[in-house]
Amino acid sequence: MLIAKNLVKEFEKNEKHNRKVMFRAVDDVSITLEQGEIVGILGPNGAGKTTLLRMLGNLMQPTGGEVFIGDGEQRLSDERQIKRCIGYLSGNTKLYGRLSTRELLQIMGDIYGMERRETETRIEEIAKVLHMEQFIDNRIEKLSTGQTQRASISRCLIHSPSIYIFDEPTLGLDILSSNAIIDFMKRERKNGKAILYSTHYMEEAEQLCDRIILLASGKVIAQGTLEDLKEQTGGENLREVFRTLVDEEYEQDEKQDN
Amino acid sequence: MKSKIIKSLYKKEILDVLRDKKTVIMMLVIPLVLYPLLFVVGMQLMVRVSTGMAEHTYKVSVIGEDEALLADLMESSAEEGDSFRLVAVDDPEAALLAEEIDAYIMQTTVDGKKAYQIYYLSSVTNSGYAMDLLTNMLRRYSGVLTKERIEAAGLDPEYILQPIGINSKDISSKEASAGSILGMILPFMLVVSLLLGTMYPAIDTTAGERERGTLETILTLPISNNELIFSKFLTVATIGIVSALLNIIAMCGVGVYMFHMVEQVNGADTAFDMSRFLPAILIGVLCVFAFAVFISAMSMCFCAFAKSYKEANNYMTPLMLIVMFASFGSFLPNVTLTNHMALVPVANICLLIRDLLAFKINIGITLIVLTSNVIYGVLAILFLGKIYKSEAILFGDGSTSVQIFERRSNLKKGGVPTLGDVWLVLSVTAVAIIYIGGSIALKHSVGSLILTQFFILSLPVAAVLYSKKDFARTFRVKGCSWRAFVGGGIMIAGAICLGVIVTALAEKIFPEGAKMLQQTSGSLVFGSFFKTLLLVAILPAVCEELMFRGFVLSAFEAKLKPGVAIALSSAIFGVYHMSIVRFFPTMLLGAIICFVSYKTKSIFPGIMMHAMNNALSVVAMFYPKAVCRILPVLMKQTVNVRDGCILLAAGMILCIIGWRIVGLDKKAGCNS
Repeated sequence: MLIAKNLVKEFEKNEKHNRKVMFRAVDDVSITLEQGEIVGILGPNGAGKTTLLRMLGNLMQPTGGEVFIGDGEQRLSDERQIKRCIGYLSGNTKLYGRLSTRELLQIMGDIYGMERRETETRIEEIAKVLHMEQFIDNRIEKLSTGQTQRASISRCLIHSPSIYIFDEPTLGLDILSSNAIIDFMKRERKNGKAILYSTHYMEEAEQLCDRIILLASGKVIAQGTLEDLKEQTGGENLREVFRTLVDEEYEQDEKQDN
Repeated sequence: MKSKIIKSLYKKEILDVLRDKKTVIMMLVIPLVLYPLLFVVGMQLMVRVSTGMAEHTYKVSVIGEDEALLADLMESSAEEGDSFRLVAVDDPEAALLAEEIDAYIMQTTVDGKKAYQIYYLSSVTNSGYAMDLLTNMLRRYSGVLTKERIEAAGLDPEYILQPIGINSKDISSKEASAGSILGMILPFMLVVSLLLGTMYPAIDTTAGERERGTLETILTLPISNNELIFSKFLTVATIGIVSALLNIIAMCGVGVYMFHMVEQVNGADTAFDMSRFLPAILIGVLCVFAFAVFISAMSMCFCAFAKSYKEANNYMTPLMLIVMFASFGSFLPNVTLTNHMALVPVANICLLIRDLLAFKINIGITLIVLTSNVIYGVLAILFLGKIYKSEAILFGDGSTSVQIFERRSNLKKGGVPTLGDVWLVLSVTAVAIIYIGGSIALKHSVGSLILTQFFILSLPVAAVLYSKKDFARTFRVKGCSWRAFVGGGIMIAGAICLGVIVTALAEKIFPEGAKMLQQTSGSLVFGSFFKTLLLVAILPAVCEELMFRGFVLSAFEAKLKPGVAIALSSAIFGVYHMSIVRFFPTMLLGAIICFVSYKTKSIFPGIMMHAMNNALSVVAMFYPKAVCRILPVLMKQTVNVRDGCILLAAGMILCIIGWRIVGLDKKAGCNS
């Protein structure tokens, strides 16, 4: 179970009149992610989705608040321990083009502290599941977009994490490739893994997510199941819910500014 | 840092770098194919050209009566292997200019003596060669005439022409003379090849990784920033060492080939006893390792500022120039590897290898060179760790970045310099000071003093002006009350008392350092008292205060806790005095001035305090007797326990009183 409490991330930002202003990209966000559920994070551009996910994945240190992996009594808050439990994937996580997928996975297995034999069996398993046997020994720079995406996913799987964090994993992919990823997420949910993912595709989120968190200006403006959100706003579908809630939030912001 | 993780990361980096074509070409193809090829082709060309010249028949015309005589001489020259053909032309000068003939000889008579004038074109190789051959031919003729005339006078020509015998014999071993020739080329080649070898992996692992977007991937793994940097550094150093060794092997191969050629041509005995080179080679390999540590860390530091491959390439150019310039410096005559030079990066390695090849091995200096390179390398890695903060690089907010490299139009006005700027300016200044100090010609001259202070002042000022920072705030150009000056004056008296104790202790702990300081520092007298006062007390006080209490302390204060900022900036102030013995008293002085500058937010009390401190030593140099009478304890070589206690107490009391007076300043109180 991944728990984030009161996460805050501030950046220095240059404003008008050449003054430096602290800008809150993420403002007091608390999240709980249970095993066996898919939680979607939605929000307009610049809402702080990527920053939030990076902090959850321990790629970035929060200005305030804490992230830990807890299961009742036990609690992991060490950076290395958390990273061992998380598979993190985003459009920005590129692979080493000059290595083959197998070499990359072997090295990552070593870094995660896995035994060589354990790594080998794991690689065979992953290759079968993701249909990568054909190209697993080719250099990554020679792979097609869809193959590269599968190689990226295999990178997150190597250490059998219990939690996945995906930042817009289906962005810019064709239907076949994105379906493969959606199927993968569904399958992993069945295996009891926890998945947190951000997206701009409302329909995709509607059919996939158990819970949805709406983010705007760095704050959580609504969260719950799709039904909860529809009830709350009276919208027909997620698209309408999203528009209503985000509009409300920006109107409030403007009033505050004035 | 976990060694297993570093090992895995290192494996990944090496695989990644070795599959990069540019690195492999730089590392393998250049030393193993290009150098030998160039040498062999060059040698072949040289041989061909010179044989071609020798076999050439030169066309020569003659003006004057001696045509028949010269024709005879030319014909007999064929025995010497020179071949001429007499050509008759109407206008020899025009023919020569048109290159129809190679030279012409005009016979004249000067003071009743026959004279031959050879006309040739220095711009045409064959014509120049013809001139040389004709001159030799006429000299031979002149020799024959001399002999005839001496014999005609009834004397022995041998006895007259060679009254004494002159011979020279080279008794240096073949190895030593070959070593000294190698010493002219090898160090430079080694330095450049190491730099070229590290250049691409350094760019690839820092800026390249950033550009390709793989850094975020690596950050999802359970690794620390230091593990990442260290494994990258190991990779760059490995590639650098391998390429340097390959270069050495290639050069040795070419060398052997050249000696073989010379042997064939001269028939001389050029067999070498390679075992005599063994110690030199072993120490040389150690040098390569130590220098690889230094140069890899340096090139990575330069590349870490870059956001892209192209940008990194641009940053490498100045590094290349600096390194090449420094290694050229070591070829100058009279530049020798002294204790001082052993601390100058790049030049020290070149000089050491040069000495090693000439069988001059000094273990002490060798150790200084090796350790100083490793220490500089480690410092550069630590610095790299500071600037290559993965988060700031990846998601860059720009607050700790180096702004000097930004486009000026993108920078915002106001504020104090960033830490990145300060580190950069400090390192550039340090390099500048080391080179000025290291260059013997300028030592202890007015020039070196002014030049050092010029760098200390101009670099931070330029950085602040370029990055549009708040000049007055950064350099603390701001008035303050008279109490700050009075208090500061009392504090500096205390600081001088404490300084005497600290210096005595430092000299006791580091006797070698004290001896070295005495040898190198010499006298600081520049003409009259006032001139010396200006150069030794006032000028450094102004420049160094603006740098250390202005530029450095302001930037540190903004980002660090006050205590850390003061401690760090005074430690840097101490380091800049380039002596282990002076480090501690200077740091103490710096810390006390830092307190006053921090409290008053003004640079002026600090300048006064610094000038007073330096002025005391100037007064002591010009009027030792007077100082001895008033403050005897300052002039003593050693401090006994009783004097030490008195000085400690006096120093502490003076500092506390001074501090209270500075603190009384209402204006300062408001600010703090």
